[in-house]
Amino acid sequence: MSQRTYFDPERVDRPVPDKPWIALALTALLTTAALTAGWEAYWRSKSFDPGDINNSSALWAQERRKAKGDATVLIGSSRIMFGVDLDVWRRVTGVQPIQLALEGTSPRAFLKDLAADEEFRGLVIVGVTAPLFFTQEGGRRQEVLTYTRDQSPSQKVDHHLSMVLEDVFAFLDEQTRPKRQIEIAMLPLRDGMPPRSDPRKLSVSTRDRNTEMWRRVVEDEAYQIEAKEQWELLLKRLAPPPGPDGRPQEMPDEAISATIAAVKADVDRIRARGGDVAFVRFPYGGVFTPAEDFGFPRERFWDPLVAQTQSAGVSWHDYPALQAYELPEWSHLDPRDAETYTEDLAPILMAEIEAARARRNSPPVGE
Amino acid sequence: MLFNSLTFVAFFAIVLAAHNAPLPWRAKKFNLLLASYVFYGAWSPPFVLLLLLSTVVDWFAARAIHRARTDAGRLAFLIISLVVNLGVLGYFKYGTFLLENFTALMASVGVAYAAPEWSIVLPVGISFYTFQTMAYSLDVYLRRAAPTKSLLDFALFVTFFPQLVAGPIVRPSQLIPQFANPVRATGRQLAWGLGLMTIGLFEKVVLADSFLAPAVDAAFDARAPIAALDAWTGVLAFSGQIFFDFSGYSTTAIGAALCLGFALPENFRFPYAAIGFSDFWRRWHISLSTWLRDYLYIPLGGNKMGRGRTYINLMITMLLGGLWHGASWTFVVWGGLHGLYLGLERFLRESIPPQKWFASLWFKIAMALVTYFAVNITWVFFRAQSFTDAAAYLSSMFALADDPKKVLYLNEIVPAAIVIASMVAAHWGMRSTSMETVIARTPPLLIGAVWTLMLFMLVITQGSDSAFIYFQF
Repeated sequence: MSQRTYFDPERVDRPVPDKPWIALALTALLTTAALTAGWEAYWRSKSFDPGDINNSSALWAQERRKAKGDATVLIGSSRIMFGVDLDVWRRVTGVQPIQLALEGTSPRAFLKDLAADEEFRGLVIVGVTAPLFFTQEGGRRQEVLTYTRDQSPSQKVDHHLSMVLEDVFAFLDEQTRPKRQIEIAMLPLRDGMPPRSDPRKLSVSTRDRNTEMWRRVVEDEAYQIEAKEQWELLLKRLAPPPGPDGRPQEMPDEAISATIAAVKADVDRIRARGGDVAFVRFPYGGVFTPAEDFGFPRERFWDPLVAQTQSAGVSWHDYPALQAYELPEWSHLDPRDAETYTEDLAPILMAEIEAARARRNSPPVGE
Repeated sequence: MLFNSLTFVAFFAIVLAAHNAPLPWRAKKFNLLLASYVFYGAWSPPFVLLLLLSTVVDWFAARAIHRARTDAGRLAFLIISLVVNLGVLGYFKYGTFLLENFTALMASVGVAYAAPEWSIVLPVGISFYTFQTMAYSLDVYLRRAAPTKSLLDFALFVTFFPQLVAGPIVRPSQLIPQFANPVRATGRQLAWGLGLMTIGLFEKVVLADSFLAPAVDAAFDARAPIAALDAWTGVLAFSGQIFFDFSGYSTTAIGAALCLGFALPENFRFPYAAIGFSDFWRRWHISLSTWLRDYLYIPLGGNKMGRGRTYINLMITMLLGGLWHGASWTFVVWGGLHGLYLGLERFLRESIPPQKWFASLWFKIAMALVTYFAVNITWVFFRAQSFTDAAAYLSSMFALADDPKKVLYLNEIVPAAIVIASMVAAHWGMRSTSMETVIARTPPLLIGAVWTLMLFMLVITQGSDSAFIYFQF
């Protein structure tokens, strides 16, 4: 190695270039503030609002820590997030639920997490979106579990500071970041590459993860079409590969049974501590109907899940009150519908939970 | 705590206010020490104990070395320091690696050894502060410096928060004397320090995380044969990502220290304009390469013990330099490749007499491109998770893979290409100067515009909370 060096181990000098630094710093600060004000106005004009809290891992971790004792906890995928209004649920049942569902993620890993938590002995309401529930244990956002375990003190402080700013600034949204804008920019496709499936922003959340459909999805027809196109791309990407006969391969019975057995083990652990578990399906339409009804028929998936875990199970197919809804982008309820849906769902589900409990506690006829 | 976090903004504002309050110098130093423990403890409070251990051991070891009357006594106290420092580093950083390799070795000779469960969390920045404190004891042992008389100054040297977790690795003689007398940044230093912090955070948050990371992740995480264009885009983007990430940290650290009135050394000098590999290592992670030179290469004999031994010393230094980065054989190979390059360069320099055309611009450009190309080959081993992944990736780069797939969209390729081309051009244009010199020549209006642009991009990128890559080392 040569002895010529830019590094003097004996001393260090930090020259300041000869410029009017204080004036430059103030100018940069003021100009940035003006640009930021313009940026804020731009995103507000695009239906972004202050008070929409990022659905971050830190927000999830904050809510997970509340899930202790006899709490009522919602887990599942995005449909239960959009479909249950937490405030309405509290008004109807008298209990404030904790929203732990995560978009595009199977709740099984989270059921297992709650089952392993000796401090939890409450009610778990599991939203079942069959293509997610039966094909993976966690998936897309499962890492929130390790994040919660390893969250550092500075990450906790950061989260609280961030929420204070998100209450004021609409542009503090993951969707507005340059990185995200580059990701979703409509650039030409390279030869042979499929279009990208990348669901757009669909929801807004409050500090307790009470989540509802973003108003732009409800109001902007072009945005709705874009959202639907993304679902079509996603379903194409997730479709199981064809079997030897050219038809989509079905999930074997053994795999379904193994999944249900694992779920039952977690359900039993929670019940052994005095808690309970119930399952719910939320409405879907459009391209999801053939994908879910034919890909995951209820007699092979939903019905055995409810029966073998001896749980309450409410599927929207079975209750006229839960069917009368139009879904703006085929998969989720809009905010106003979510309120009435919650009003209808809560009493049905609580009654089913009581009925299932009674069935479990009474011996079968003939004994 | 991360520089690119709101917590740090609040923390730094409080530290700045306390440092500029009308308090005695000793109280200000105590504040800085406390702030440094808070900064480190914000990741994991128990690991502050490691910092305290490192501080106490080297404080007493250096004093004992200095007082010892015999060489054997001096050596004994040095060994205590090295054993504790390297022991802690070995336990936390290399324990799993050693156990895995021991198990594999046993299996290779037919012994079925079942390793016990070993789940150790790596304390952030442990390699950096371990090397920094070891330098103190080694300097005293090698009679390059006397131990400092103030435990407070020494503790602050070990923990000084701007450079604690990812460098620059500061020498005792560079930093400890700065704690002796009261310092406070002037208005110009404060503003320039904030400017440096803006540049550093812009490099990390905007260039590395927003523009380059998507291409890197998509290419390297494909774990399948990919098209040559995709593979090259991925590795070139990684060359930029690792540079902007690490250089961004160093620049932010230098800026933060300057805001408090302290000077930290340069850690990067436009490395991708290097002509040859010894030049590269004078420009890349300078504080580590000079540390390895002064405390490993030269003590091994450097180039004073004959040609053959010089090559061996070079290789040992670079292999250990590779291992310093991570407990994996891929890092060792990364270091080994650099050792090979340095040896080859030395051999060629000794074998080929200087030619007039060596000084021509085209030759320099060609050699800079060869250097950048060869460095990119090493980055594959640095980024890949295993040798299998690295081999597959290299075969994709050289179009040797079967049935390669395109995995990068233009959304990843275009930003990466723009940033990488700009980076290489900027490095080449500034290779013989410094950022301070360039800025001194730039009109204030342009400086203000660029500063505003960077600050605005930082605000709208919203910081991002991804950790710096070098924190894991």
